[in-house]
Amino acid sequence: MATIVDIQQEKALEVKNFEFTYAGADTPSIKKLNMPIAKNAITALIGPSGCGKTTLLRSFNRIHDLYPGNKYEGEILFKERNILTSKEDLINLRIKIGMIFQKPTAFPMSIYDNVAYGMRLQGIKNKTELEGRVETALKSAAIWKEVKDRLKHDANGLSGGQQQRLCIARAIAVEPEVLLFDEPTSALDPISTAGIEELVVELKERVSIIIVTHNMQQAARVSDYTGFMYLGELIELGRTEEMFVSPREKLTEEYITGKFG
Amino acid sequence: MTHTQKRIFINKVIMSLSTLSAIIGMTFLFWILGVLVINGIDALNWTTFSEVGAPPGYEESGLKHALIGQLYIVGIATLAGVPFGILAGTYLSEYGQKSKLAEIIRDISDIMMSAPSIVIGAFVYAIVVTPMGHFSGWAGSIALTIIMLPIILRTTDDMLRLVPSTLREAAFALGAPKYKVIIQVVYRGAKVGILTGVLLGVARVAGETAPLLFTSFNDNFLNTDMSEPMASLTVTMYNYATSPYEDWQKLGWAAAFILSMFILGLNIIARLFLMKKRGK
Repeated sequence: MATIVDIQQEKALEVKNFEFTYAGADTPSIKKLNMPIAKNAITALIGPSGCGKTTLLRSFNRIHDLYPGNKYEGEILFKERNILTSKEDLINLRIKIGMIFQKPTAFPMSIYDNVAYGMRLQGIKNKTELEGRVETALKSAAIWKEVKDRLKHDANGLSGGQQQRLCIARAIAVEPEVLLFDEPTSALDPISTAGIEELVVELKERVSIIIVTHNMQQAARVSDYTGFMYLGELIELGRTEEMFVSPREKLTEEYITGKFG
Repeated sequence: MTHTQKRIFINKVIMSLSTLSAIIGMTFLFWILGVLVINGIDALNWTTFSEVGAPPGYEESGLKHALIGQLYIVGIATLAGVPFGILAGTYLSEYGQKSKLAEIIRDISDIMMSAPSIVIGAFVYAIVVTPMGHFSGWAGSIALTIIMLPIILRTTDDMLRLVPSTLREAAFALGAPKYKVIIQVVYRGAKVGILTGVLLGVARVAGETAPLLFTSFNDNFLNTDMSEPMASLTVTMYNYATSPYEDWQKLGWAAAFILSMFILGLNIIARLFLMKKRGK
């Protein structure tokens, strides 16, 4: 059984006996996983490659559903409702639970249209409202100053770090409650990485954040809680400052001290 | 000779042989183009465009009927083939993906791409011309559509699949329904590639003769009624070039020149698009 610290605050999500099996696989990639996710906090998921941390992250907005044959079991509770049922409205779920990917995913359109994309999907057509919210989102993502004079330019002309912040602006423009970050800085240089990390920390006042990272220093720098996963199981979930200093599980200690992984 | 010298020597031999082969290939290409341009331009004049075909010996003789017929036949084939091809390619890439059905369609369209066009002409002859009782422009367009379809379908499929899946996921992650992801994100990412496929598809059918001989046949007069036999540049060129009359042969050269320039132009535009895409 996993060692799970008692989260004394409200929970954004709660994973209960969750199992996930990829299409065509015999054994589940995530096994009987239980995990609370604190609200308005940053939870980092760490662990060696193939441990299931990205698989878990991609279950929270059910992006796995784009590929046929994947199977969920157990429950993931969001606002006290299991989001894994077939009745779940995936469009609404994904508006509430946004995602930032490993590589920047700027759409082949202008900077402005990228940020407005999610809002337009929701039927917002009013130009003044759109402009205002685009500006707010870009400011929140700390990229407004760099792009305000070229909002009509192709988003693919931005640097990698700028594109990633643009994607964050696009994601927060629809005012989600949870943001999922899938190794958001693994394709970026150190300066851009620092910028994104700073941004993530600022965002937690408004959204609950789950971040998958290969970089343990990053987990230590930004997160409030850290979950260590190994072979599809959650080994330990603890307060970040405690877990990196005195992990309770031997496996966690071996991983964070670099004995394997 | 040391080992290194030997290697350098072999390198030079291979390089010379491959360069020579390339030059020989290019020589024929430019030879053909050269003969075409010299004879074609010589045969071209205003009446080529302003007059329809006339019996041998008449001064006022041109290709207007064939040019217009060509535009009709290829135009209608394009109007039919492009949406069909793009939609079918979209099915393969976005819906069928790696399913059995999608793989079978891909295999069949690959085979169709290399099917001799005369066979397709004979097919349309059997299913359209025979029941109608006569040749028609429609039958020609149908034959060209069938030839164009697999080219556009496969390029669309390939180009859509080049759009990174994370881009689709990012759109879905914002709550986009699938049709909006395809139209607003995937098509936009692949538009240059799809356009290239369309141009190459049109260029391919614009030079077809054999399937038209079986379907739209020919007409020496101006005809814009698609349900009647219709002239085309290719069939007209074939008839004129193989005739014993010198003025008809000249018109044949003119037809060959116009046709080649049209297809060359389409290919160059397609290549410019591709270059622009890679340069990005």
